Amino acid sequence: MSEHQGYMKALKCRECGREYPLTATHVCEFDFGPLEVAYDYDRIKKSLTKAAIQSRPKTMWRYRELLPVANDPTVGLQVGFTPLVKADRLARKLGIRELWIKNDTVNYPTLSFKDRVVSVALSRSRELGFDTVACASTGNLANSVAAQAASAGLKSYVFIPSDLEQGKILNSLIYGARVIGIKGHYDEVNRLCAEIAGKFGWAFVNVNMRPYYAEGSKSMAYEIAEQSGWRIPRHTVVPMASGSLLTKIQKGYQEFVKLGLVPETKYSVHGAQATGCSPISVAQKAGLDFFKPVKPNTIAKSLAIGTPADGFYALRVMRDTQAAADDVTDDEIRDAIKLLAETEGIFAETAGGVTVGVAKKLIASGKIPRDDSAVLCVTGNGLKTLDAVDGYVGKPREIKPSLREFEALLANEEKVNA
Amino acid sequence: MAIKKKLPATKFNSPKQQRLWLMYPPRLIKQPFIWEVGHKFKVVTNIRQASVTDEIGIVCLELDGARSEVDAAIKWLEKNGVNVEPVEINVIES
Repeated sequence: MSEHQGYMKALKCRECGREYPLTATHVCEFDFGPLEVAYDYDRIKKSLTKAAIQSRPKTMWRYRELLPVANDPTVGLQVGFTPLVKADRLARKLGIRELWIKNDTVNYPTLSFKDRVVSVALSRSRELGFDTVACASTGNLANSVAAQAASAGLKSYVFIPSDLEQGKILNSLIYGARVIGIKGHYDEVNRLCAEIAGKFGWAFVNVNMRPYYAEGSKSMAYEIAEQSGWRIPRHTVVPMASGSLLTKIQKGYQEFVKLGLVPETKYSVHGAQATGCSPISVAQKAGLDFFKPVKPNTIAKSLAIGTPADGFYALRVMRDTQAAADDVTDDEIRDAIKLLAETEGIFAETAGGVTVGVAKKLIASGKIPRDDSAVLCVTGNGLKTLDAVDGYVGKPREIKPSLREFEALLANEEKVNA
Repeated sequence: MAIKKKLPATKFNSPKQQRLWLMYPPRLIKQPFIWEVGHKFKVVTNIRQASVTDEIGIVCLELDGARSEVDAAIKWLEKNGVNVEPVEINVIES
């Protein structure tokens, strides 16, 4: 392994293909296209065999040659390798032969898939010599940056819109992150964060570190393939915010094929959005290769990006893999959260409700055939969005401290159920 | 202008270069926004990439000028119905 760049070759513009050194930079100076990490797959092939992978600890870092760090990772060593759960009860409800849940509700340490991308971004930040990391986030990303920076002894700044709910702020403050609330419209806050990211010499995980950060999502695809018995599932359903996760799931599958770790089989990577913020799914359904920006209005806050940076690329992946996209209303999201919890004992945040709700629609419409198999990517824990289901899951029944009252309640329940 | 000269250089007149994506809906496609921005405000406009179809106009633009002028130009574009994003598009994630 090269001491300075590991198995990485360069940063490469996704638009024009120009190459850049492996520094903290994210945009092509010529056409402003996003930069992506390019790897030396010939060298990776010699090192990353099934046997090598299986001999390593069960974390996302067992695929480390395919993750953008030059040396051994130093942050988030326990992240990933979340369960792939066979969801027979949910499969029966949705009317499909076989269904699996990739359960990132239990990802370490902050219960969302963002732990994957942040652990990569912070490991790479340290390699590049940064001592301060930052992000602009309304939830999961902020929590993960704050927690993992704390464990690594890095200073962290988290920028948020000032009107963010108290609960979400506490989840970052507790780790000692410097949380800065910015007053103003979302667009103004967004532009200011971009400017701050450019001005200070920090590792802004989703701005100047984005090429490395985004690659962390691929680990979900590697795990799904390995846990499926070294094959790519015929259908994968992925929630879309910026669209980045969906594109990286496909990149992960492609890389496993390229390295000969899985056979080349037909697969589709479907996209899921909330109806209240569905620029990508609307474009996909209309057969367009571009999206129109929208103003988000949905309970699925973690997917509420009205102008998705990777929307164009996500549309291309869905077209290339002959996949579909759809979206679900707030009520359908709540119903799907409840359905997943009641059938599989998995409590997902609203984005998980979006994925399950959209999978239900795609199965019902035949876009995912009933005799096929599908994996649903559930990306965050329901404990993070309790307010979304508050008032929709019933209330406990109260009794006096009397056995007779309890027996009466039970008898009544049996009568109702009879 | 006289007032501006008295202000500390860092507050309003420090130079600013902003890299932006402009997106506009069909009803605005025929308007020469970039020409207008260059005349209404003291900014240098530099187009890096553009795609204009019947459905949407997407332009990647670099704006160079005094901070106050660049900020005013962005506000004017937004007021006219143009979606203005930084080059990173969505910096705030969930």
